[in-house]
Amino acid sequence: MSRYVIGRIGQAALVLWAAFTVSFVLLQALPGDAILIKFLNPELGLGPEQIADIRASYAADSPLVVQYVHTVLNFLTGNFGYSIHAGVPVGDLILANLPQTLWLASLGFLLSLVVAVTLAALSALSPLSWLRSVIQSIPALFISTPVFWLGILLIQIFSFQLKLIPIINPGPWQALILPVLTLAVPISAPLAQILMRNIDHVLTEPFVAVARAKGASHRWVLWRHVARNAVLPTLTIAGILFGELLAGAVVTEAVFGLNGLGGLTQRSVNDQDIAVLQAIVVFSAAAFVLINLTVDLLYPVFDPRLRVRQGAAA
Amino acid sequence: MTRRSRSRSKVGLATLIGATFLTGASLWGSGTIAADAQGAPVKGGTLVYLEQQAHTNLYPPAGGFYPNGGILNQITDKLTYQNPKTLEIEPWIAESWTVNADATEYTFKIRKGVTFSDGTPLDAAAVAKNYDTFGRGNKELKLPISEVINNYDRSEIIDPQTVKFYFKKPSPGFLQGTSVIGSGLVSLKTLALPYEALGDATKIIGSGPFVVASETLGRELTLKVRADYNWGPAKLEHQGRAYLDEIKYIVTPEDSVRIGALVAGQADVIRQIQAYDEKQVEDEGYLIYAPSTRGVNNSVVFRPDNPLVADVRVRRALLHATNTDEIVSTLFSDNYPKATSIIAKTASGYVDLSPKLSYDLEKAKALLDEAGWKLGTNGRRQKDGQTLELSAYESLPQPQNKETLQLVAQQWEKIGVKLNVLTADSGSAVVNNLDPAKAPVSPAMVGRADPDVIKSQYYPTNRNVLLQKGGNSDKVRSFVDEKLNALLDRLASEPDRAKRLAVAGEVQNYVVDQAYAIPIFEEPQAFAAAPYVKGVSFEAVGRPSFYNTWLAPRR
Repeated sequence: MSRYVIGRIGQAALVLWAAFTVSFVLLQALPGDAILIKFLNPELGLGPEQIADIRASYAADSPLVVQYVHTVLNFLTGNFGYSIHAGVPVGDLILANLPQTLWLASLGFLLSLVVAVTLAALSALSPLSWLRSVIQSIPALFISTPVFWLGILLIQIFSFQLKLIPIINPGPWQALILPVLTLAVPISAPLAQILMRNIDHVLTEPFVAVARAKGASHRWVLWRHVARNAVLPTLTIAGILFGELLAGAVVTEAVFGLNGLGGLTQRSVNDQDIAVLQAIVVFSAAAFVLINLTVDLLYPVFDPRLRVRQGAAA
Repeated sequence: MTRRSRSRSKVGLATLIGATFLTGASLWGSGTIAADAQGAPVKGGTLVYLEQQAHTNLYPPAGGFYPNGGILNQITDKLTYQNPKTLEIEPWIAESWTVNADATEYTFKIRKGVTFSDGTPLDAAAVAKNYDTFGRGNKELKLPISEVINNYDRSEIIDPQTVKFYFKKPSPGFLQGTSVIGSGLVSLKTLALPYEALGDATKIIGSGPFVVASETLGRELTLKVRADYNWGPAKLEHQGRAYLDEIKYIVTPEDSVRIGALVAGQADVIRQIQAYDEKQVEDEGYLIYAPSTRGVNNSVVFRPDNPLVADVRVRRALLHATNTDEIVSTLFSDNYPKATSIIAKTASGYVDLSPKLSYDLEKAKALLDEAGWKLGTNGRRQKDGQTLELSAYESLPQPQNKETLQLVAQQWEKIGVKLNVLTADSGSAVVNNLDPAKAPVSPAMVGRADPDVIKSQYYPTNRNVLLQKGGNSDKVRSFVDEKLNALLDRLASEPDRAKRLAVAGEVQNYVVDQAYAIPIFEEPQAFAAAPYVKGVSFEAVGRPSFYNTWLAPRR
């Protein structure tokens, strides 16, 4: 088991390094850079000599390899550099933006789980076939709803028309209600879809027929046998959905004017603020790796068969 | 400033009716009211200001960026105050000043008793240090030179309240330069910080009527009033502390959310409202403020280094093929006056060039024919197997720039010229826009209430919008216009005011005669405010000042 965990951590480190290197190369390959964008901005009206001076002071034109080694060493010591655009250390920027996104993402994910499970349960328990097909088409509707539009719609209704939740100067919890709702809609769709499919699929398996033959009620079969089996693939998807969450946060944070990693990503991409982007890529990769590692470690908990196999391997 | 109230009379009437029929007033009530016969200004309250973009670096010379200027204008004072109505320079931190005949020496007498919010005195030594930094930059701290200070040499502290500045060459624009947002005075502690640390607003220590109290990076900024502030511009009626207790800046990027929040009563003032949203806001009884930026008009410029637009006849043809009336009436509102020169009517040194800027398709076609560009079978102008096809990159900060360029493209299509309107991420746009081969046409504008602004825009070592050789682009092969540059040099160094304005007129004529630029409209900064927000004012190029602002009781 410990060798398994060590192996996984080694893989994680490799993934992180690869993400760092690939993003470094890609960001360097882009035309222009943050210094150019910021200082050629006509609002500053700097001359070419001044810009050359600034470039020299940032060592922006030193060879790529030197910059790469320099950046890697800095990252290893926890120094993420300065945001050229915002004029503050990248670490501060990330710290200032991380909590809000964590709250948004985790609450959004939690709500989408609730929605997905509710939809799946309703569909499985519904006695009417037309109602079932209505419920089963909801995920398709959810996934095709543009987050941007939904966010603005919710603001218009709940904040501007009904005046229930202020969008400007809200309390810390008020600030999260509408964004979480907005984010949960598209995230819940694939979860619900897969859960429903799996339930339908597992229901056709022979052991269900056996359980039924033994006299189990529909509801009991669902909870005892079907749900446990249907949850596994959903777990896999949940790990992958983290990327969706981050992408969703970009739009949601822009619409609601929230301070978060999503908004920061968007601004930094636009300004080619490479130091910030580099840090965000590494952070996101780390989160991805961590979540998928957790998911992997959770499999045996839900599925005893995997426990045995791993025990045999170790 | 044009405080536009197309519907003011309508609103006023509604107010009257509403007042008579009390119940009816509630319908309009939240919007209109707070009659103009208001009493004395009320002290206290928090102003909620919605900003479209987060501020960036707050080093004062970077104050040109509007989100930065909107903050710096409240927390810093300037040596002098430019009256936004008369454009005259009036005393502020400097009580008085003298300038020698050829504008190479400026002496300022500093007001007594002024302090920065960290308690240190704003005296001659502090002023000298500020201008040494702005005028020469600081390489170690990576602080760049200010755009508004030309030919700066050094400072000299005559006595604790008197400072003298020396210039290598005449610098007649300097006096006005001391009044602009980029010349905000900051404490020595702030000036000792490296450039990259100045994005943190709490580090910017000024002597202004407000002080940065707290900041959530990229999201929110709170300013608190300075109770002991007693050194506002001398000729202002209001002296002493500002009326407001607090200003909250909240970054709200989405247009519809800013407008909705204003109308729903969650915000008091918003920046950046597009022309097509103005009516909606006014219909709710809210006010649009559209102060002019008094600088170089929103224009389309050519890069003559590109052989396609090297011929003045081609550029003139395109100028006459551009229907600015149609652009202004289709895309904008009365707050965006049609351009009649390369600088705004309210800019100093303006001359009316409308006869030279006529819309005349026949003339345009004749000019192209004369230049050898004949209509090909595909409806496009061709010459020596080449097609007259041009490209321009959209400029994101300019209002509806893409739509403007697309409309220009439709208009040019009528004389057989193709204009591709391109969109790119900021990086590619910046890089490609420096290449005359990729961007023979470009949108351009800049605001500043001094004729120096024309030099800023066209001079090769400044903004270099025409992309002359020797400037910020290494893609230019040969284009240089010595005559233009000589005129611009004279403009920046002619000490005699009358002569200087005459040169400004000459430059405007020259640029239009050469058809280097097609001026389109005079660009305002558009704000909207709730009717109970009183005394909103703007500095000479349209950045808000909340020193005079107060909140009447909401009804």
